[in-house]
Amino acid sequence: MKVSFIGSFGARPEVAKTILGKVTEKIEPTVLFDIGDSQRLIPALAEAEIVVSHVWKKDFPAAPRLKLLQSPAAGLDMIDLPSLPHGVTVCNVDGHEQAIAEYCLMTMLALSHKLIDIATGFRDRGSWSGGGAGGGPLHGEILGKTVGIVGYGKIGRETAKRAAAFGCTVIAANRSPVADKGDASEIYPLGELDRMLPRCDIVVIAAGLGPETRGLMDARRLGLMKPTALLINIGRAAIADEEALYAALRDGKIGGAALDVWWRYPNPSEPNARPSALPYHELPNVLMTPHCSSATDGARDRRLSGVARNLDGFVRGDGLRNVVLTT
Amino acid sequence: MKALFLGNVAADTYAGIKDELPPSLECEVLDDPIDRALLPAAARDADILVSNRWFADFPPAPKFRLVQSVATGVELFDQASLPKGCAICNAFGHETAIAEFVVMAMLALHHRFFQIAGEFREDASWAASWVQSGKPHGEVRGSTLGIIGYGRVGREVARRAAPFGCRILAANRSPREKDADVERVYPLSALDEMLPLCDTVAICTALGPETTGLVDARRLGLMKPGAFLINIARGQVIDEDALFAALRDGRLGGAAIDVWWQYPTPAEPNRRGSRHPFHELPNVIVTPHNSGWTAGMVRRRWDEIADNLDRFCRGDSLINLVATI
Repeated sequence: MKVSFIGSFGARPEVAKTILGKVTEKIEPTVLFDIGDSQRLIPALAEAEIVVSHVWKKDFPAAPRLKLLQSPAAGLDMIDLPSLPHGVTVCNVDGHEQAIAEYCLMTMLALSHKLIDIATGFRDRGSWSGGGAGGGPLHGEILGKTVGIVGYGKIGRETAKRAAAFGCTVIAANRSPVADKGDASEIYPLGELDRMLPRCDIVVIAAGLGPETRGLMDARRLGLMKPTALLINIGRAAIADEEALYAALRDGKIGGAALDVWWRYPNPSEPNARPSALPYHELPNVLMTPHCSSATDGARDRRLSGVARNLDGFVRGDGLRNVVLTT
Repeated sequence: MKALFLGNVAADTYAGIKDELPPSLECEVLDDPIDRALLPAAARDADILVSNRWFADFPPAPKFRLVQSVATGVELFDQASLPKGCAICNAFGHETAIAEFVVMAMLALHHRFFQIAGEFREDASWAASWVQSGKPHGEVRGSTLGIIGYGRVGREVARRAAPFGCRILAANRSPREKDADVERVYPLSALDEMLPLCDTVAICTALGPETTGLVDARRLGLMKPGAFLINIARGQVIDEDALFAALRDGRLGGAAIDVWWQYPTPAEPNRRGSRHPFHELPNVIVTPHNSGWTAGMVRRRWDEIADNLDRFCRGDSLINLVATI
């Protein structure tokens, strides 16, 4: 079975090598990191029955034998589905949801407890004014707070489960109807998000990027949030309006944010690219991380094991997990 | 009936509860810095002391019948200076806030949060992301958390850590019934068995003869290389020199320290919490003894204190009784 690992994720040495180390069935791998190298991309796609990649572009060469496109990531927003051949099964991976849920709890706690400000002031200036016996303003907590999760999938559910143990009230909004509410007490249709937002002390964006979610958190909806509310985005940056969110944070229309996903990403010529055209890094009420909420050792192992399990499953013909669709 | 509110925390408490107190209760407030010239008269006829301290060199207080601590720890009350029959009560309401801090610190340490967020903000470093093949960071799931001191705080920590998929162990001085979240509660004397199993150790015990210096160089050496230590209890539970050496030399993976071996004084308000520069170590999260100081905690604690003063004035049984002299 010919398998092509392509692109900056699937062909990354530690990704391809780890997956190949976990696969037990016999496969013939091709590894191509640079998908701009068409001399090598043409044969890699012409032969492959399986492609492991998080990206599929409109102008990709023909892939007549392709049966399985296995993404090593969860999001399919880099995959141009209409340009895939007919009859291709597209699978993604999970195993990141627990890591991302940890990030959501960590950041909602850190924002509420003002951890960075207090720890930095104590470290740099020896300031004891963190609200304790040394005086200064008290900080917040999440007990009794209402957490609203936009996009109630695997990540949303894992976040809900953990937040509930902290005594939070969890509500959620989802595109499609939800049969099992899990730890959420109420589920809104995404069309009624405007009713949910004013209730929330903390809003977690855990949705995928699609036509219904692109630009969802615009200036008007940010304005529906409480002025003290916190926004956590681990979904995709484009779900939030870049300028409106910046203005809301700068002007104190909302209380703060933790952002892990961005409007701009680095490239080889600009490896330290700022993640936005706007100076988010100068806002004191923003915690920012470089798209790494899922980059834990455990999540990596669970995801790559999931890819390997599907390659083996496809070769043996005994079924695939995490099937998203078949073209 | 008269109550003396002594010190800054007591003064804040008074401001927060004065409208709830019985009208018959006369209140006097002596804020920090305490004017020692005013103290003898204030102490002489007070029935109730609301404070976090009463030192041996304080003037006589022959009528004290209730000492209501504004905190949970009562070690700063010199019991020999209190009259016979005086009740000492403490206050809680902090346990959920501190449990939030413990889980937050555990997550931040495993996820290398300060380092990653700091480098991204300062230098736009994407090194930690999937995009640049960075070294993965850790997660809490599947790790073992050991809680020393399975009291109110320890239980709240366990309850919050459980849904993360942690294995939870605990050690306690007195035998404790374990909750479903906890795999085993060791007697404190068997702490040495628990320590080598833990990826994170959270110290949530009170300070007492059995816990002073409990976590010394030998016991730190029993911890897994790279394990994390969180202390929200009292500085003196840990050997200061040994912990600094273990963190500096990288034998421990990191620590979150909220409680210290020394505290600021009026002359030195920005005094460091230790004679060692813990604040210069990159793998240590340092906070100024405020893990429990949330707005919610203060409200809960004030409510408990107001309730107890009301009970005392009505002659009802007291809550949170620690000792009777």
